[in-house]
Amino acid sequence: MLNLMTSVEAAHSDPAHNDPVQGDLAPTGIVVDHVGRSFGQVHAVRDASFIAQPGTVTGLIGPNGSGKTTLMLMLASLLKPDSGSIRISGCDPVTETAAVRSRLGWMPDVLGSWSSLSVRDTLIYTAQMYAIDKAAAATRAQELITLVDLPELADSPTRVLSRGQKQRLSLARALVHEPDVLLLDEPASGLDPVARASLRNLVRRLASEGKTLLVSSHVLSELDEMADGAVYISQGVTASAEALARSRASARPWRIRSSDVVALRAALVADGIEEAAIATDRTELIVALEGEAAASALLAHLVAAGVAISTFAPAVGDLEHAFIDLSSGETK
Amino acid sequence: MSAFFSGVGVIFSLELRQRVRSLSWYILLAVFVGLILMVTVLLSIAFLGFGEDGGGGIYSTIIYFVLLLGTLVAPALSGNAINGDRDAGTLAATQVTLITTWQLILGKFLAAWVTALAFLAAAVPFLIYATIVGSLGFGTILVSILVLAGELGIVAAVGVGLSGLMSRPLFSIVASYLIVAGLSVGTLIAFGLGGLAVQTTVTSTSSYGQEYNSNGVATSCTSSTTNEYPVPRFDLFWGALVANPYVILADAVPTTYDQYDQPTDLFGFIKLSVRSAQQAPETVTVYDECAPGSGLYEDRPTARETIESTTPGWAVGLVIQLVLAGGLLIGAHARTTTPAAKLSRGSRIA
Repeated sequence: MLNLMTSVEAAHSDPAHNDPVQGDLAPTGIVVDHVGRSFGQVHAVRDASFIAQPGTVTGLIGPNGSGKTTLMLMLASLLKPDSGSIRISGCDPVTETAAVRSRLGWMPDVLGSWSSLSVRDTLIYTAQMYAIDKAAAATRAQELITLVDLPELADSPTRVLSRGQKQRLSLARALVHEPDVLLLDEPASGLDPVARASLRNLVRRLASEGKTLLVSSHVLSELDEMADGAVYISQGVTASAEALARSRASARPWRIRSSDVVALRAALVADGIEEAAIATDRTELIVALEGEAAASALLAHLVAAGVAISTFAPAVGDLEHAFIDLSSGETK
Repeated sequence: MSAFFSGVGVIFSLELRQRVRSLSWYILLAVFVGLILMVTVLLSIAFLGFGEDGGGGIYSTIIYFVLLLGTLVAPALSGNAINGDRDAGTLAATQVTLITTWQLILGKFLAAWVTALAFLAAAVPFLIYATIVGSLGFGTILVSILVLAGELGIVAAVGVGLSGLMSRPLFSIVASYLIVAGLSVGTLIAFGLGGLAVQTTVTSTSSYGQEYNSNGVATSCTSSTTNEYPVPRFDLFWGALVANPYVILADAVPTTYDQYDQPTDLFGFIKLSVRSAQQAPETVTVYDECAPGSGLYEDRPTARETIESTTPGWAVGLVIQLVLAGGLLIGAHARTTTPAAKLSRGSRIA
């Protein structure tokens, strides 16, 4: 079950613990504390706070232009925050840039590659940029080519790669120095279903190895499958605890399928749901329920009433529900 | 320190692999060699009639032609080094690694320089041919090649610097060409106009002989007349002149003199006029034929004495160019360094 992380979890109310590096147990993973960044008059990120723990996959979701990429660039040590602090594996990207870069892998949303270099040489050069010697770089390149499944194209120039193949090369490049923290910006876009499945497996495996992963994506159903938690950002602000709590409690559609739709509808009405509030989608009925408890209670009633239920599930994923609910909240 | 240079080496090697693998680079090199071949052949035919004295002329002209083509090619090789990578989306991928901004800039600068040096290397056979035909010294060709290599380095640094300072490759390449034009032509204009704009009045007093004795010495003279006329002050602007790559080349090459201490080749004459420009005009001149000792030729300095007594202009010019190129590279570093505090308008960091 997914849970959305809140800024309360990241905010340090006790000033003595404000600097995570000074603690005895330096926190690893990603710690973002009230980070802001503006470009002239445009406040791309106003106030972002969250924690991503090692061994977990955290989704970063938000509408277009909400500040996801700016936040990613600040985490990737490319952009300086105007305010707040960031810790990657306990190091500050602004003051300890080299330490952060040796622990951080970044897969950008822009697919740039050295067009005349082969896939293998691209990975070897990237490894050398992390001060890995040539022999070790060649070994690592071969491992990664196998890992992202590009063996037939290993010695072709990268300009012949398709979008999905470039995406896999970009992922391999982010992994070249075995980083502890991985930032993946739209990693699944352009991938075919098989590649998506293997990406999902790879992401889960990296998390199980204790790495911290932050994945931004628009494909929420996909994040639902691979992420342990998610950070929601809108208009440069990560969602507050109250907003998330409201979202969890707010009514969301549930999909109920029965071989006997008439009996199901009658049972729903008998349970106190208004006839007009029941939507029909082919052979399924959709009703709005407030929270998990209400859903459990309704299911128990339906089963007790002897209705044959074959499907009883949320009509939209957890992330999608939060996304839509919070987005509509912002526009009000 | 060795870690720093191995990082520079990675960028250098990456840049070279990308450039040298492109077909257009080889085509450019072939066109370059073809042009020099044409010029050499035509000049050899043209100077054939001048007999032995033609060699210096041929040599100087060919090496100037190599400098011209080299400074025309180098901006194209370096002017999009950094912003071109940004456009291709590979700059940020390099910047998130342990490569520092200085390693990136120096690696790209060295690669652009070495790429331009390949053009010089292709021109070396023609330079050797001209030297043999012109029977010039080993020192002359060595210094010429060194200065050519240095000038290509300056242009490469200007190109890389501007490509870091400006966000659009087209603008930075054009700006590199403008700087090359400024150094090659603009310095001459600045020198000429500057010298003419600032003028000093010279007071000249002269009295001429009316009667002469048998030895040809004046015994009575006219009353002295005083003239005032303005002269341009080129000596205040010779710094602009020596920043010119063609002047640096001519000034740096060791001069050979004939029996009258006059230079023997084109470079020598350019050097003489550049060095003479350093000397301030005398603001008061007196000419009196009846004064004792007059009538004998005044002991004017020879070309050799003028050249040997003045500041080596090539060194001053090279310092000016190095400051310009270094300043642009430092500017590029400030603009490209990450984590970035400021972004130029409309530029995307990735």
